[in-house]
Amino acid sequence: MTDIVSTAARPGRPATSEMVRRLPEFLMIWVPLLLSAAHLISFSIWTIWISFTPSTLVPVTGWVGLRNYNSVLASRNWQIAFDNLLLFGTAFVLLSLTTGLLLAILLDQRIRGENVLRTIFLYPLAVSFVVTGTVWSWLLNPGIGIEKLAHDLGWTSFHFDWLVNRDMAIWTIVIAAIWQSSGFAMALFLAGLRSVDSDIIKAAQIDGAGPVRTYWRVILPTLWPITVTVIVVQLQFAISAFDLVRALTNGGPGIATQLPALVVYDLMFQRSQLGRGAAAAVLMLLILLAVLLPYAAWRYVRQRRAAHA
Amino acid sequence: MPITTTRRRLLAGSAAALALPAFARAQGAVKPRLTAISQWSAGSDGAAITALGKKFEEKGGIWQHSPVPGFTTDMMNKLRAQIIAGDPPACSQLKGPEIAAWSKIAPTVDLDAVVAAAGYEKVVAPDLAKLHKPAGKWIALPLQIYSTNMLFLSKRGMDKAKADKVPVTWADFNDLAEKMKSAGMSYPIANGGTRADDGQKFEASLAGISPTAYRAACMNLDKKALEGPEMKAAFAQTRKISDWCDPNVGVQPYANNLKRFVDGDMGMLIMGGWAQGVLKNAGFKFDDYVITPGPSDNGKPVFLLNADAFIFWQRKEADLQAGQMLMAQLVMDPAIQTMYSQITGSIPVRTDVDLSGEGWSDGQRTTAAALKNAMGNNQAVLSLAHNMAQENGLTAAMIDVITEYVKNKTIKPDEAVSRLADAVEGAR
Repeated sequence: MTDIVSTAARPGRPATSEMVRRLPEFLMIWVPLLLSAAHLISFSIWTIWISFTPSTLVPVTGWVGLRNYNSVLASRNWQIAFDNLLLFGTAFVLLSLTTGLLLAILLDQRIRGENVLRTIFLYPLAVSFVVTGTVWSWLLNPGIGIEKLAHDLGWTSFHFDWLVNRDMAIWTIVIAAIWQSSGFAMALFLAGLRSVDSDIIKAAQIDGAGPVRTYWRVILPTLWPITVTVIVVQLQFAISAFDLVRALTNGGPGIATQLPALVVYDLMFQRSQLGRGAAAAVLMLLILLAVLLPYAAWRYVRQRRAAHA
Repeated sequence: MPITTTRRRLLAGSAAALALPAFARAQGAVKPRLTAISQWSAGSDGAAITALGKKFEEKGGIWQHSPVPGFTTDMMNKLRAQIIAGDPPACSQLKGPEIAAWSKIAPTVDLDAVVAAAGYEKVVAPDLAKLHKPAGKWIALPLQIYSTNMLFLSKRGMDKAKADKVPVTWADFNDLAEKMKSAGMSYPIANGGTRADDGQKFEASLAGISPTAYRAACMNLDKKALEGPEMKAAFAQTRKISDWCDPNVGVQPYANNLKRFVDGDMGMLIMGGWAQGVLKNAGFKFDDYVITPGPSDNGKPVFLLNADAFIFWQRKEADLQAGQMLMAQLVMDPAIQTMYSQITGSIPVRTDVDLSGEGWSDGQRTTAAALKNAMGNNQAVLSLAHNMAQENGLTAAMIDVITEYVKNKTIKPDEAVSRLADAVEGAR
């Protein structure tokens, strides 16, 4: 940004040639931005409209008020999905945050082979969620995966059947999701740790603070803006989680691991109830806004404070 | 292998389509052409529809089939997109009450004349015929029939349990399962854990206990029947079946258990006739197992009907219209139905096809005899689990309850009955 301002302010250049020179920049930024914004907004409005119509197989006009919303909210599928989202969202965000932070701190010790380790931890992020889900569904299957391995090795009392246990199945999704994305949290935290001013750390050391105290009192407090970013990014992933669950448990056993995105897909494309599916999608949008709006407000307040300071 | 074949065929098809206009103009007549979509892409289903396409080409037609692999609903999403775009296929796979629902969103072809000319109506089960003429006119044609509640018995499993009597009622079935269990089979029943599979466990239970109650509750959604004593008994029987299944199966399909079933580590399987095609494809022999009608407490076979069909969408192009008529004639042709069923393991829709000849298995003969018998006793009913009894939305709401009940053993049969009734109320 500052770069553009400084070139624009350079004296002795005619305004028109300046405009022409900057045209590619405008085209590259504004055209895609406007297109995707129009795309996003128009389809959101379309979905909101459909959610108030009696559409089933194909979109139709008409007005049914809140009927679709009432029937989605009253359905067992949605209630289970919402409870699961609360559990999955909280567990996944907290655990991936702590795992990522721990990995980052361990990697920050200037150890040998850091690049290799960092790549290994980041690598799951490059794998598609469908692949993650499928592989973990094999690993966690008691008949062919970890449980069988333990049994074959002689530990016959070992019991690990979460995938087919309806009370624990949601945790298998947490496990797979953490495996996939704690590397992302690690990368951000590591960048944060490396950007801490080394003078402050040296000052703390001179004052006699040990490594634990240095991290706890000096380094970690500087990381909290990154923490908020990680939480928001992970939360929006948790809310829109679809492919991982579909490949891992497909909402099962029974309907024990339903999540909102699965309910939307199910209503729209499996049950041919477009109106109700759209209502569920709008409810998801509202949940997302409940996370994103406070974040936006927080950023706004922070920027204003920074400007004042 | 099937994929390459299909691609090549598609290429050949499109090349032919490109060459066609000039050719047709030169000839001064239309060559029948058919655009079709279905979910049948691989295995015995793919082979069967490819064979049908060959017959279509032999009659001088141009066959343009685009398979959409996956569930029926995936195929429906493509169909929906094409209908909204105003370009429906000349013919598509569709079945059960969905025929009526979809026929309201786009115009279909009136097939009454061609059906009458073939004398087809006389040889189709009346309940089935009704589904294909929702407003009194034939707009779709059934192609093949399966029963979803056939009982497969493993020969080696029976030997292991020292059992030789084929079970007739649910009491017989339960005795045999116990016997197999005490003979050392940890899990006597080889069913899987998919939604449809759980639905089949329940519909087989209810229809076997009382076909009348099944008709009232699952087909007519009669409130009193939905809360009746037979429903509770059916849920109790479903629990027994699921207790005898391998809990590690999770949401996997029954096909994963077939080796254990043939080896005699599992003894019984409640499945549609298509399992025969799957067993054959997996390299197992017909004498590895016996097929018999599913348990029925009144001793007479109960047939849970599942039928695949083609619906014909209105098109203006003369060549497509000619193609539709040719396709309709082929689908109703006993020779074509014989060819098709012999590939997939189903039975023909026509009740006048003779299954005594070569190419038919004992399982298919048993199934066809069961259908005839069940129709005579008014015990042929439409399958809920395979979307024949209700539209998708209602079916899914009901299967939700059933699959949750199967997976969650703390739900009591009483509770399941009231949940199912509530789900029906909520989805209507």
